[in-house]
Amino acid sequence: MPQLNSELIKYPFYLILHPFNGYWDLKYERNKKTNLIVSFSILFLLAVTNIMSSQYSGFLVNIYNPTEMNSLMEVLYVLLPVLFWCVANWSLTTLMDGEGKFVEIFTSTCFAFIPMVIIPFPWIWLSNVISIQETSFYYFSHSVAVIWTLYLLFVGNMTVHQFTPSKTIGTLLLSVIAMGFLAFLCLLFFSLIQQISSFVSTIYQEIDLRS
Amino acid sequence: MLSSLYKTRTFVLTTLICLLSIGMGSAIVHAEETPASYNYSYWGDAVASPAAYRATALLNGDSLGVGPFKEPNDIHVTADKQIYVLDSGNNRIVVMDASFKPVRIIDSFDSKGEPDKFMSPQGLFVTEDKHIYVADTGNKRVVHLDSNGTLVKVIENPESELFQEKFQFQPARVVVDKAQRIYVMAVGIFDGFMEFNANGEFSTFIGANRVRVDPIELLWKRLSTRAQRSQMATFTPTEFTNLDINDEGFIYTTNGDRYGDTIKKLNAQGNDILRRTGYFNPRGDLVMSSEERTRLIDIDVADSEIYSVLDSRRGRIFTYNGDGHFMYVFGGLGNRLGEFNTPSAIERVGDQFLVLDKGLGEITLFETTEYGRTLNEAVRSYYRGDEEAAFALFQKSINMNANLEFAYAGIGKALLRQGEYAEAMKYFKQSKDQLNYSKAFLLYRKEVLREYFPAIMTGIVLIVLGTIIFRKLRQWKGGRKRAAIEQ
Repeated sequence: MPQLNSELIKYPFYLILHPFNGYWDLKYERNKKTNLIVSFSILFLLAVTNIMSSQYSGFLVNIYNPTEMNSLMEVLYVLLPVLFWCVANWSLTTLMDGEGKFVEIFTSTCFAFIPMVIIPFPWIWLSNVISIQETSFYYFSHSVAVIWTLYLLFVGNMTVHQFTPSKTIGTLLLSVIAMGFLAFLCLLFFSLIQQISSFVSTIYQEIDLRS
Repeated sequence: MLSSLYKTRTFVLTTLICLLSIGMGSAIVHAEETPASYNYSYWGDAVASPAAYRATALLNGDSLGVGPFKEPNDIHVTADKQIYVLDSGNNRIVVMDASFKPVRIIDSFDSKGEPDKFMSPQGLFVTEDKHIYVADTGNKRVVHLDSNGTLVKVIENPESELFQEKFQFQPARVVVDKAQRIYVMAVGIFDGFMEFNANGEFSTFIGANRVRVDPIELLWKRLSTRAQRSQMATFTPTEFTNLDINDEGFIYTTNGDRYGDTIKKLNAQGNDILRRTGYFNPRGDLVMSSEERTRLIDIDVADSEIYSVLDSRRGRIFTYNGDGHFMYVFGGLGNRLGEFNTPSAIERVGDQFLVLDKGLGEITLFETTEYGRTLNEAVRSYYRGDEEAAFALFQKSINMNANLEFAYAGIGKALLRQGEYAEAMKYFKQSKDQLNYSKAFLLYRKEVLREYFPAIMTGIVLIVLGTIIFRKLRQWKGGRKRAAIEQ
């Protein structure tokens, strides 16, 4: 059991440093269930990092309005884009002969977010002990985290779907557009539902008042 | 006995909590109304603040004994607090002393042996030696009178190749600097202010507003033919709405721009050098809707770079300090004392304000409240560099208005100077001043590190020594064991 635990923790670090081998193992070698557990923990840690950095980051890099801070919304800001991304990517790659299953897309996406956790997390405290001249290091390491994540996303997608690099870039860009469509459809759906429910409730009120 | 006491205590506590929660609820409801006097927080919300000024008197032509004012357009106050009112509808200038007693009325002057009169003049300026400059709009000239009211010179029909063909000189506002240069804001001129030298000869235009192009209009222009284009309005810079000059000779201007900076401070070359380091650029109210958007029509510069602007749309007077921090607002449209119908000009007399109402022909006098006095003095001491006094005064003003965020930075700076870095950091954080916070923080960090340096260094050395000794010891022990095994 201790062997498994240390493997569980070591593997994500191995993956972000050797993404090609790491993602290959993720797709073909490793247990789907443990992957899913690790993925959800990464998402959880990402949400925690976001919440903590908006609450505890140093004043020089983060002026936040306490009245607009909402931890539940922060969780949604992590979950919703990931969900949209996975759905959009899955819908596209199914049409484009991708080999990836939905679970694989989801886990590969989640694993790609590891740099977004391990780099900003120590900066929550470090940003409290830096001057304004030193904030460039803060912004630099955050950019590194973002670029690293994008690279992992790219490699992950390529490995999971067994695409060529150019095709991967194409699908990634198309997925972004598809996410836009998804968001639009969701808004449309919710506004229609709202209209219908208000229509029904108005009719109910009307009948209720007449009788 | 004990239980009954306990019961009463619970009852009292419950009642107290209920009462408190009622109080809190009403406080929240109150906060949502637009307060009479307000300030903008860092987040752009209007937060209530105590009134800095209060209307105390209303002056009109009848009460002064000079006959009613008719559409007065401009007002000017000299250093010794003589008040000049330009009564445009009656084509005269009414001069009053500091206690609002009329001193004299100038309604005509001698021009080449013949009496001459103004015709609906719009602007007025009085220099330090009491020379009067009048933008005599109806007669298309600027009239310069000396302190006795005798004519010195008249500026009319200026000539220059910079003018367009159908140019008409219609001066609306005028200011004069210490070197007797005359700056005229003229109707229908988009090239900036007209600058005249001391002899009244036109020298140049300065400080034109920039042309701002609407992208949609530009697209239409690109798509249309040349014939259509010639029918369209050309892109022109916005006109100025007013100007004032301070002791150092900088011209403060307002314009009716929809976007961008509506208040500018021009140097001799016509460049905008206004400091905008407040939470928002000074432009009056922070509203976007077109009916409520501030339209500035007058500006007045006081000492210590404090300046006030008048909004004609809602009749409010906004005052900013030299750094661009919003200090206070007062006035409004309405029928009560301290409200106006069509305000047209403001002027500061010491710490008092005079607001000229064009529609009613009245002047409203505003005087400072305790809060306004404290804040004015605080900003002045801060400007002078007297940080001790600024510290005490800012402290006093935040006791009266805890929402005054920029005051905390003033206190922070005084604390920084005194060497209380941790405390200064707290105040800079309160006023969201990152730059000064960082300054205080660097000093604080140095102080802390210096204090704990011996301890930290000793700790590191001990740890290093400890590991070395531990390893040596293990090696020695291991060696003995191996030796024992080998034996």
